[in-house]
Amino acid sequence: MSRPGTTAPRVLIVDDEEPVLLMAAEYFQLYGCAVDCARELEEAQALLSYKRYELVIADLRLTGFGGVEGLTIIDDIRERCPWTRIILWTAYGTPEVEQEARRRGVDAFLLKPQPLPRVVQIGFGLLGLQTPAPQVGRPERAS
Amino acid sequence: VSETLLDAILEPGGLSVVFQPIFEISPEGRRVYAYEGLVRGPRGTNMESANILFDYVRRKREEPRVDRACAELALREAARLPAEARVNVNVHASTLGRDPEFLVFLGDTADVNGIAPERLTVEIVEHAPPWDGPTFLGALSALRSIGASVALDDVGLGQSNFRMILECRPDYFKVDPFFAAGVHADYHRQAVFESVAQLARRFGGRVVAEGVESEADLAALVRLEVDLVQGHLLSPARPLAALVEDAVPGRPAPAAAAGAA
Repeated sequence: MSRPGTTAPRVLIVDDEEPVLLMAAEYFQLYGCAVDCARELEEAQALLSYKRYELVIADLRLTGFGGVEGLTIIDDIRERCPWTRIILWTAYGTPEVEQEARRRGVDAFLLKPQPLPRVVQIGFGLLGLQTPAPQVGRPERAS
Repeated sequence: VSETLLDAILEPGGLSVVFQPIFEISPEGRRVYAYEGLVRGPRGTNMESANILFDYVRRKREEPRVDRACAELALREAARLPAEARVNVNVHASTLGRDPEFLVFLGDTADVNGIAPERLTVEIVEHAPPWDGPTFLGALSALRSIGASVALDDVGLGQSNFRMILECRPDYFKVDPFFAAGVHADYHRQAVFESVAQLARRFGGRVVAEGVESEADLAALVRLEVDLVQGHLLSPARPLAALVEDAVPGRPAPAAAAGAA
């Protein structure tokens, strides 16, 4: 298992809102990250069983009203991989939820909506890395 | 449009199957003994990996539905194998314990595809008990009564433990790849295989070593009287079309297959 900073950061983004998920994934890829996406709690858990991530960004609610699946994801990660950095983001943040998320070991708690450059910056900051310049195009292949 | 990931998995074309031969090693050479159907999830998704696919399915507690889809797909494909070829399909113990109609479905599906029960081996996989014990044991008994065989997968790890061996009384003990890796140079791994081989003999079963990836390990296993082996050394899992040329049981394994990665 590699430590943060030794390779392209591996990032898991978990969100049930497809547009948010795809946009965030594209953004992190733009900054050189290897990104996996999950739309359901069980999909995220299956990925976490077999892969290791430096950074996980999880929505709090994955099943509509009242869900707190993001907290379960924090527990799963903290059980297996203490050095994985976790960002929980939600449109339903309250001080109580934030307190609970921090108690379970989340590294950053963000309210939606958030500008994606800021999420990227916070993610790299948690990994102890400088935010790189975005890769606006594929590097040309050496001939 | 698929509503959930599970819908995407179960919709037509969502699953695909490859087959990996199990070889029988004898002084005459290596022969294909059976073909194990291995199902993959939708291409280009996280579920393309079988580990992630079935972990997800187990977390959703949807093993019976997905096992039906997988068995149907594998048996439909296996219909293209020669009439005498043995076919292995993977089924969760929890499916046998929770779906009393599964065996009827399996028998009918095999029949529709021209696969006699005697050619069929059900590989039992399990990750999380408990299941309905009586239903599970009844299913195993019914399987045997129609002439099919039972294999216990991943022997040595997780839920494939001595209790499961006692309950399944498997015809085949499929030893997890962890134990074959480096067995030629590892006294303790050799001891594990000796022990499982002796246990299998007492149960009237046979040992299958999974994950055999070197000639040295293969030779060591043969010395340990393990004569059924599976692994990349002999053949990786491949689409049936690529395997069908070599599909006649008893035909020596092609030299090209040896060492394939």
